[in-house]
Amino acid sequence: MGYLQVQYEKILSDYLKNQSEENLYIGQNYIRQLIQKNITPEEVINIHKQAVEQLHGTLPKYVEHAYDFLIEVMVHYGLKVKEHQSLLMKQEELRIEMDIATKIQNLMLKTNIPKLNQIDIGMVSVPVRKMNGDYVYFLQDDGHHVSVAVTDVVGKGVPAALCMSMVKYGLDTLEYANNNPSYVLEVLNRIIEKSVDDSMFVSLFYGRFDVENNIFTYGSAGHEPAFYYNAKESKFYDLESKGLLLGILPEVKYRQSEIHLNDGDFIIMLTDGVTEFRKLEELDSRQLIRDIVMKFKHLNAQQMCDELYKQILCYQNYQLEDDFTVVIMKK
Amino acid sequence: MSEKSIVEIVTEWDIVTARQQGRNEAKAIGFTTVDQARIATAISELAKNIYLYASEGDIIIERLEENNRIGIAITAIDKGPGIANLQSVLEDSFSNSGSSSVGIPAVKRLMDKLEIESEVGKGTKVRIEKWLKR
Amino acid sequence: MKVNVQLREDGDMLRGKIEGEIDTFTAPILRDELETITIGKYSLIELDLSNVNYMDSTGIGVFVGFYKKVNREDGKLKLTQLSDRLTRLFEITGLNELMDIETLKKVELSDGNI
Repeated sequence: MGYLQVQYEKILSDYLKNQSEENLYIGQNYIRQLIQKNITPEEVINIHKQAVEQLHGTLPKYVEHAYDFLIEVMVHYGLKVKEHQSLLMKQEELRIEMDIATKIQNLMLKTNIPKLNQIDIGMVSVPVRKMNGDYVYFLQDDGHHVSVAVTDVVGKGVPAALCMSMVKYGLDTLEYANNNPSYVLEVLNRIIEKSVDDSMFVSLFYGRFDVENNIFTYGSAGHEPAFYYNAKESKFYDLESKGLLLGILPEVKYRQSEIHLNDGDFIIMLTDGVTEFRKLEELDSRQLIRDIVMKFKHLNAQQMCDELYKQILCYQNYQLEDDFTVVIMKK
Repeated sequence: MSEKSIVEIVTEWDIVTARQQGRNEAKAIGFTTVDQARIATAISELAKNIYLYASEGDIIIERLEENNRIGIAITAIDKGPGIANLQSVLEDSFSNSGSSSVGIPAVKRLMDKLEIESEVGKGTKVRIEKWLKR
Repeated sequence: MKVNVQLREDGDMLRGKIEGEIDTFTAPILRDELETITIGKYSLIELDLSNVNYMDSTGIGVFVGFYKKVNREDGKLKLTQLSDRLTRLFEITGLNELMDIETLKKVELSDGNI
């Protein structure tokens, strides 16, 4: 402390003799030292007070008390600054943990898009934060069936990600791609209802494509309806399938419906991150999606997904509001 | 070893009395103006905690002397609700970052030593010490 | 972006008016507000959502949580004056067939289909 005091007196005295830019610059460099040494604000003011006393002689009582007052209040100020620094460090620790958790999630919830000759599948899934609250799961057996689950957990971030691993676990236990959508939904509902709290739930659209007979069977648990494009009629249909969200009631029955897919037909499954435009209340987002897709329906499924993402992102001013997921299955 | 003074904390004004007594003692021991301010602030925080969370309790101020060195110790005792998770009050938290109080971690920074004992339903005892640098 | 809840007793009913936007940030505020209600005291809790101009799935979560709590404690909950947007949200999620919901246009929702 003694050395710092002497140094400060010298710098201050130089400045008082000559108010040059150079002396100010030296002063700022000196302060940097104090920050490195973790000198508290009240101590800095004390250094200044003592330096002024040294250079000027005894201060008028009035000025001395004013300095003492400043020292007193700066104690509190300094504590707040320290607290802030310590919270920043904590935040950094959390960030590191989050990065690790994200890596684990990405590894665990990695989606592999099946490659089949009979049906073309594409997908885009982009989280709004680090962890994705949307999830797409594919299942296929020896060329007879390919199934897809498009899911959205309420909320975002870590809680959503934790709940999602449970959904994946549930889907894993089902093992076979030829299960009925209604059965899958009923089983998943039971698993989720048992394990999560009251305000946590999952919406899920489940579809199964019968490769040999070109039949798409689907069911929904509180999920945004999928689109079905009929190429022959050049017309879109909503695949409405009413069903309660997963995880709300213990025993829920789900319906399933089926459609026949012909060449050029396709199905678009999505999450509400695609259809929800918070800032454009009046916009009919489902019409917008139909319009965009119409322009790109000659492309393959993956390119269609990519284009849809690009266009929607543009409408959202390049700032997603929710996790964005779209899957297209094209015959 | 020591002289003790006790300030009962019941009203908000008692916080001021405790600060004053602590500052007088710190000055008498020979602490610098800056350290006096720190000690008064630490007392203030402990007394405020009693006033806010336990409604009443005592602040005990004493002079320490051992092995040729001197210092000050302040003990805050209350019969309030107690603290279930001591670890949580010893860490900086976002919850008090917006409030005017600075919390236990800050008090610890102002002093050389802090000890805390608490039992849920029985009360809390916090003891802090600061030694005169020579 | 804020949410505001006003509750007032009306005979043996509790009427609430919720205003603002319910999203990830405001949902915890709404949850805490609803948490303060002593459900057993009222024959019916009616929440007016006419001034809720935005709600996302986190908001749905709050209402589902509250609905479950009300049910457990043998109370009754009704959500009224929902905008088209909010009504659609409750329809898609299948909650309209579980909860008592009334849209803004005063059209009686016939729950006849299920």
